[in-house]
Amino acid sequence: MTEILYREAIQQALREEMLRDDTVFLIGEDLRDPWGGTYKATAGLSPDFEDKRVLNTPIAEDTIIGAALGAALSGTRPVAELMYIDFVMRAMDAVVNQVAKVRYMSGGQSDVPLVIRTQGGGGRSSAAQHGNSLEAWLCHVPGLLIAMPSTPADAKGLLKTAIRLNDPVIFIEHKLLYATKGEVPDDEYTIPFGVADIKREGTDVTIVAASRALLFSLEAAEELAREGISAEVIDPRTLVPLDEETIFESVDKTNRLVVVAEGAERCGWTAEIAARVQEARFYSLDAPIQRVAALNVPLPFQPDMERYVLPSVKDIVAAAKRTLDA
Amino acid sequence: MASETDRKDLLEMFRSMVRIRLFEQAAYDMYMDGELPGFMHISIGQEATSVGACSALGEGDYLTSTHRGHGDTIARGLSIESAMAELMGKADGACKAKGGSMHVADFGLGILGANGIVGAGMPIAIGSALSSNYLDRKTVTLCFFGDGAMTTGPTHEAMNMATLWNLPVVFVRQNNLYAESTPVREYQGIPDILKWAESYGMPATRVDGNDVQAVHDTVLTAVERARSGGGPSFVESETYRWFGHNIGDPGKGRPPEEVTAWKARDPLVICRSVLLDDGADEASLSAIESEEQEKLAKAIELGRAAALPKLEDALTDVYGDQTLAAAALGEVRR
Ligand SMILES: Cc1ncc(C[n+]2csc(CCOP(=O)(O)OP(=O)(O)O)c2C)c(N)n1
Ligand SMILES: [Mg+2]
Repeated sequence: MTEILYREAIQQALREEMLRDDTVFLIGEDLRDPWGGTYKATAGLSPDFEDKRVLNTPIAEDTIIGAALGAALSGTRPVAELMYIDFVMRAMDAVVNQVAKVRYMSGGQSDVPLVIRTQGGGGRSSAAQHGNSLEAWLCHVPGLLIAMPSTPADAKGLLKTAIRLNDPVIFIEHKLLYATKGEVPDDEYTIPFGVADIKREGTDVTIVAASRALLFSLEAAEELAREGISAEVIDPRTLVPLDEETIFESVDKTNRLVVVAEGAERCGWTAEIAARVQEARFYSLDAPIQRVAALNVPLPFQPDMERYVLPSVKDIVAAAKRTLDA
Repeated sequence: MASETDRKDLLEMFRSMVRIRLFEQAAYDMYMDGELPGFMHISIGQEATSVGACSALGEGDYLTSTHRGHGDTIARGLSIESAMAELMGKADGACKAKGGSMHVADFGLGILGANGIVGAGMPIAIGSALSSNYLDRKTVTLCFFGDGAMTTGPTHEAMNMATLWNLPVVFVRQNNLYAESTPVREYQGIPDILKWAESYGMPATRVDGNDVQAVHDTVLTAVERARSGGGPSFVESETYRWFGHNIGDPGKGRPPEEVTAWKARDPLVICRSVLLDDGADEASLSAIESEEQEKLAKAIELGRAAALPKLEDALTDVYGDQTLAAAALGEVRR
């Protein structure tokens, strides 16, 4: 194992897959060195590959994704980047009406080997147009697969899988995870979609979260442990498909559930998990499911206000305790 | 049109236009009889643009089309059996009855799909052209779009990229003078379409979209240019749809004199008379028409006899990976 940054994990996955398969190429805004991507996730790649392998584009999100789709339908395996998930709105027709549906609308005539990498999330005073967490919107669309890794090891293994799949993947990184560190296996590996990872075992309450919210949840579990409460923390790693069995089994054990996500609470991802668990495990639950998500307002700029609006470690601890008080 | 090959080509184009005309008329009638569900945009009147342009393509080339895509896709070789079965919602339709009129596709023929979203074919065409250069394949992408698509955002993103990357793509604007009810002059801020297209750094040519030979020649020049590395071109093909925007629209917004004048310039009649002037005999042209009529009747018959999809077929083709598909679809409570 070697400790690397989340950013380096992305770079490594891209490099390894580009070396493995000549038809894999990167397409997006400002990917080439010396810029190397706005969050440097593609840094170091353009000097080491033929020019066509790392394609800088005009600012034209709808056409970046539409073109990546056309390329995926005609013999190549593009990895497109949307610089911010907030900009997916510009590409929503391509993502939702075209990418997600072309296999289905054509009666299964073609594979769609396309990865759309992007990053989201708040916590950096990026304000209301650069800090969104829109994964719930995309989870709502049949035909997409959604990965949202929280650690360097997961990021690398899942991205390699994403590039090898023949279905379109939305791969959501987090702007505040790029500089986090973690151990990554030295040998070649991939991580399958639809397999959750129990990041911490526990017996009293289950906490489900992905991406940066997972790190918050681990901190919360640490704090709860100091108070004698044993929390199990589950990282689904891919939101579509979702490994619900792992969540169900955990709830059978703890009888309590807290779901955490950075997106706004209303109609959010936490609601989906809560609904599924109550449908399948109503009788396992000893307390109402608690949701911890952003308040239902646009993300404010001022750092203290932003922290107030986003879910925090403190909020997760409080939610876990509510399930135990019940 | 002197040589034998030219005559043969034109006869083929005539046949293709006849095929489309008959198919579209039948689709219209069947729709009105309540036999076809959904909604539908008929391309009668525009056959020469579809056929002239598609006949300039070669094997391995790509095509993107629009909501009015029956003619374009049949011109590219989509079989009328699978097209008709698709419109009827039958299991062996071109898209297994999951796409319908606005999504007919045949990837084997390079038809990357009609499209229900105006302008959405343009970026996809950029992608297949990009692949062509990337893989050094020398294939060309023909991108059909309606006059109304010219003002959508992706069109301009795509035209810029086509020039920027010198892509082998030919944009053919099927200008039938209206986008639904709105005439071009009421929505187009830049009246001179050729200047507008040329401003993207590509040659732009206007062609009589009802003259199949003229369309063919113009698009062929553009296709050859693209194939030899010369980059994108723009063709403004002026034509007219005889029917309303979609079936159910009586097309009342258009002046009756205008409709009459355009019907008098029927692309099939124009092609027919060129062939006759060139020495083709009436009997062989009528034979083509009756052969196509027969083939269509057979396609309709086959379609009527074909099986409907099973309801559970709605659950397939969402994903390719079956394990992930099962997990993503979740429990089916029906
Ligand atoms: C993005 C989008 N906006 C609006 C529509 C509704 N619509 C369908 S066809 C059409 C008119 C298109 O006109 P044109 O491009 O000229 O094609 P034509 O119908 O004349 O063949 C409109 C507005 C749509 N399908 N997609
Ligand atoms: Mg029009």
